Amino acid sequence: MSASANVEVKVGDCSNEDPQKLAAFEEHVANGGLIEPNDWMPEAYRSLMLRMAEHHANSEIVGALPEGEWIVKAPSLLRKLALTAKVQDEVGHGQMLYEVAQDLGKSRNAMLRDLITGVTKYHNCFNYPCPTWADICMIAWLIDGAAILNQGTLAHGSFGPYIRTMRRINMEEAFHFKHGEDMVLTLMSGTDSQKQMAQEAFDRWWEPSIAFFGPNDRPDELERPAMRWRMKTATNDDLRQKFVNRFAPAAMATGLVINVCTKDDQGNVTSATPDPLLKLDEETGHWGFTQPNWEEFFRVIRGNGPCNKDRLALRRFSYEQGEWVRKAILDGTTTPCKN
Amino acid sequence: MLSESRTNVPEAKGELQTQEVQKFPIWEVFTKKKESAVHLHAGSLSAPDSELAQCFAREHYGQDQPCVNMWVTRRDFLTADSGENESYELFVQWGAGLRYEHVGEVEACNGVEARDKCKELFCADKKHFTIWSCPNSGITKIDGSTNMIWRETTDQAYRLASGYSKVVRKKWEALRESKAVDDYQSEDLKDTY
Ligand SMILES: [Fe+2]
Ligand SMILES: [Fe+2]
Repeated sequence: MSASANVEVKVGDCSNEDPQKLAAFEEHVANGGLIEPNDWMPEAYRSLMLRMAEHHANSEIVGALPEGEWIVKAPSLLRKLALTAKVQDEVGHGQMLYEVAQDLGKSRNAMLRDLITGVTKYHNCFNYPCPTWADICMIAWLIDGAAILNQGTLAHGSFGPYIRTMRRINMEEAFHFKHGEDMVLTLMSGTDSQKQMAQEAFDRWWEPSIAFFGPNDRPDELERPAMRWRMKTATNDDLRQKFVNRFAPAAMATGLVINVCTKDDQGNVTSATPDPLLKLDEETGHWGFTQPNWEEFFRVIRGNGPCNKDRLALRRFSYEQGEWVRKAILDGTTTPCKN
Repeated sequence: MLSESRTNVPEAKGELQTQEVQKFPIWEVFTKKKESAVHLHAGSLSAPDSELAQCFAREHYGQDQPCVNMWVTRRDFLTADSGENESYELFVQWGAGLRYEHVGEVEACNGVEARDKCKELFCADKKHFTIWSCPNSGITKIDGSTNMIWRETTDQAYRLASGYSKVVRKKWEALRESKAVDDYQSEDLKDTY
């Protein structure tokens, strides 16, 4: 899986910054200029970029957890190879993004620990259950597809190390997405029970996919620091519309039905009815759709989703179990390393 | 849903019981994608020593794409001013946002002299952003034929988007008209990869 960096942060104003430097910085960024770690930047830029990279890294790591569980249960050798490679990629994305964040001033270890103790967050979509193989297929197609759309715009951002990382990551997301598409098409060209399994998984993942891009835009969206400083180059609602325009007709072409669903506390679908707003506006070229249930979205973000506890418990378990490895490595190299 | 061995993960809250570890040194990795290419900066990693940095680099930067050769060095070597009289590898970042590119090698007494020579010999009047220099004694050079994970002898298509293009196209065509598949694939998120 993958993450959008739609982390909501409050940043302090820039009133303590040297006004001349700040003006030059803002002009440079507004003109498409890029920032490297040793360049001057306002403190608010540094901390916002750090939190964006850290949240993104956390999401890559946590996103790999439910998928990792399915490696042993993959239906064929090819699928097992591909899923193993995907999980390795995702953890690698986390690794690269932690490096980007670390260079902005927070140690990697502190970030790993803050994730486990709940000080920092990860992407909300990973708090939902993944009960069947078809969920793995839908995640790869929809969530990785959404991630590519989002990260494609992030790759045009202003911070050099982050955009270089986005480019490498997107190449790998493309594999995840294509493989997901292949798996969804396989199910939808299969038996009735395969199709039903796919539809049930689609009902679980459609809403988290459109919620993936984050809350609705605010009226002052373009004025907010993330957009003004070009950390983000597209708004959440624009990306969401782009996603629906592309994926809704594709899903329908495979025979999937786009439903509006209600879910219980465990994330099981309790009712599904075809989305009444789903139709193409010939004039704008945009597909209508029902917004995700934002009340539920914020409830889950606050820690009350079906899988929040499982995900963090597993991270904590792995981290504590790995203690002896860290000890062994560090004890073996107490003298500073020479090449 | 968890696999059997992990179904009884204890629920825990609050502070971690384990110690925070000291910060590892940071290493920079340069990869060469094919024999005719130059080494390009691939990214960084944190590792406690050179041996683990090499393992990590091979695993992380050496198996997502073809890679025939890789250099690993400590980050602080690249900007160091002191040094021995020896040969230095030189890397130039031509502009902000770009990747460092290997431009050549010079003999120099220290890092500063190596970078000065780089400006003269390789940058000339060309605009550049920053230069890294690394003493050859400080670089581990990993040769592709024996030590890289990516090997041409095994089929790695399963881990590339292109490995699925044909089969996906065929499956779409069984479900949609060619024109619709073309439209869908024309914006196949291509500008992102
Ligand atoms: Fe992914
Ligand atoms: Fe990812």
